[in-house]
Amino acid sequence: MADARNSGLEAPLWRAIAVYRIAALAYTSGLVIVYVSDYWHPVWAWPVLAVMAGWTVVTTYGYADPARRRTPLLVADQLVTMAVLTSSLYIVGADELALGTPTIAVAWHVAPVLCWAVARGRRAGITAALAMGATDLVVRAHWDQSAWTGTVLMLLAAIAVGYLMRIAQVAQERLERAVELEAATRERERLARDIHDSVLQVLALVKRRGAGLDGEAGELARLAGEQEAALRSLVAGRQTSEPVGDELDLMALLHPYAGPDVTVSGPAGAVRLPAHTARELRAAVGAALDNVTRHCGPGTKVYLFVEDEPDEVVVTVRDDGCGIATDRLAQAEAQGRLGVAQSIRGRVADLGGRVQIVSAPDQGTEVEMTVPRVPIS
Amino acid sequence: MTAAIRVMVVDDHPMWREGVSRDLTAAGYDVVATSGEGRQAVRIAAAARPDVVILDLQLPDVSGVEVINGLQTEVPGVRVLMLSASGEQQDVLDAMKAGATGYLLKSAAQAEFLDAVSRTAAGDTVFTPGLAGLVLGEFRRLATAPPADKSEPAPKLTERETEVLRLVAKGLSYRQIAERLVLSHRTVQNHVQNTLGKLQLHNRVELTRYAIEQGLD
Repeated sequence: MADARNSGLEAPLWRAIAVYRIAALAYTSGLVIVYVSDYWHPVWAWPVLAVMAGWTVVTTYGYADPARRRTPLLVADQLVTMAVLTSSLYIVGADELALGTPTIAVAWHVAPVLCWAVARGRRAGITAALAMGATDLVVRAHWDQSAWTGTVLMLLAAIAVGYLMRIAQVAQERLERAVELEAATRERERLARDIHDSVLQVLALVKRRGAGLDGEAGELARLAGEQEAALRSLVAGRQTSEPVGDELDLMALLHPYAGPDVTVSGPAGAVRLPAHTARELRAAVGAALDNVTRHCGPGTKVYLFVEDEPDEVVVTVRDDGCGIATDRLAQAEAQGRLGVAQSIRGRVADLGGRVQIVSAPDQGTEVEMTVPRVPIS
Repeated sequence: MTAAIRVMVVDDHPMWREGVSRDLTAAGYDVVATSGEGRQAVRIAAAARPDVVILDLQLPDVSGVEVINGLQTEVPGVRVLMLSASGEQQDVLDAMKAGATGYLLKSAAQAEFLDAVSRTAAGDTVFTPGLAGLVLGEFRRLATAPPADKSEPAPKLTERETEVLRLVAKGLSYRQIAERLVLSHRTVQNHVQNTLGKLQLHNRVELTRYAIEQGLD
């Protein structure tokens, strides 16, 4: 906590308090000169003013140093100021004070309260203000409105400064978090570049060189290719889909599906859809991909294709593996047994869209999902 | 027998450069130069006069677009087959608009790669499904975006061209597309080539207009 408070807004605040203390000292010195003829023991006014000047210098340097800005100094500040305030009883005299002659520390006695508020927050500021206010009231021994006003103003100042400090602290913490996040992002980008320049290239090379070989070498090449594709989507894949208002980028949602056997193509820019529509489409695509995995042999290539039309979005999932005879598909659908029927048709129909399934023996199966773009009003 | 096709390999990864060069030599190509940097590649190409440049999209010094522009100035008519290790969408699209004639992922199998090189050398356009998706997306973007100049409408694809590109994006081979649309293989190839030609022409017009507007003509 101390660390967070030693930066940002705090240093200027301490300087401001020092300036306040010096200005208040000048003001109270002027008052002493004006009223000194009425004092009971005017001789003592000058040494006390000297003590106040000395203490102003001590605190100005003390509070400027974060290492010394601690409880001992704060307590000493409070006690010295209260002592100076109390000395008014002897120097000015109780009767004179009761008549309304100002104390010898008028205005100057607010400084320690502000210090507590800055150093320890609102509650400490209030406590210091109550102690100092009580001392002031007792010393002056008259209870009219102006006496109360001084104390209430001091209390309000303590609350305001304490609140300001808390806000400054929160802002400082947020700034630090943001800086950390930015550093992490930059590090990630640097890593991505490095991986791209080295590992990815070698893996692609291994895959290419070994693609034609049989047996274990071919298997190694295939594994290298899988890793290459996985790394590539990890490194170059679009940033995670951040909702913009209530919309998501469908391309960003579909990109994680890309792999050695799955190609994702579509426009270079984002394809924005209402968040619910985008998620449902992704789920439908997932179901179509599962269907390919379940019904076709391993190594079947799948092509995901997104088209961004002005009034609708078309997503096609095509595999080059096993064409399903169209009548068989319809038959299975009629019996309600096929995952394709429920997961894909159901979801897309709920979005007000339509599904077209084309299957030919030599050309694989093509699932075309068309979803209307709901105009954003 | 005609002289072997002259190929240049530009890639900042030495292992990759050597591997590709070896494969190309084994397949009967004449690898006339290799380079690991874009600016150097353009300088070398001016002297080596390659027919085909195999270009890595990410080079340490300059962007792929700059290399392609430099190559076309130094060696007019050179064909550029781009390779990239990751599917950097916008970079690929920009490079194709700048005049590259083909694009392949680095992870493509050796046979696929050699096939792409021979098609590029023959003057064909090599599209991946991903690239077809990007090009279609770009035409749609141009159609909906407000035109910079009303006298010059945004380029449009014919229905047939759109149909062909969609099938490429869905992963069908030219042969499968020809079968499905009852066209010849050559016609399918021409449609794909036309779409790219329109995009590149539009790009040149845009660049010229920009230059005139900026007073650089």
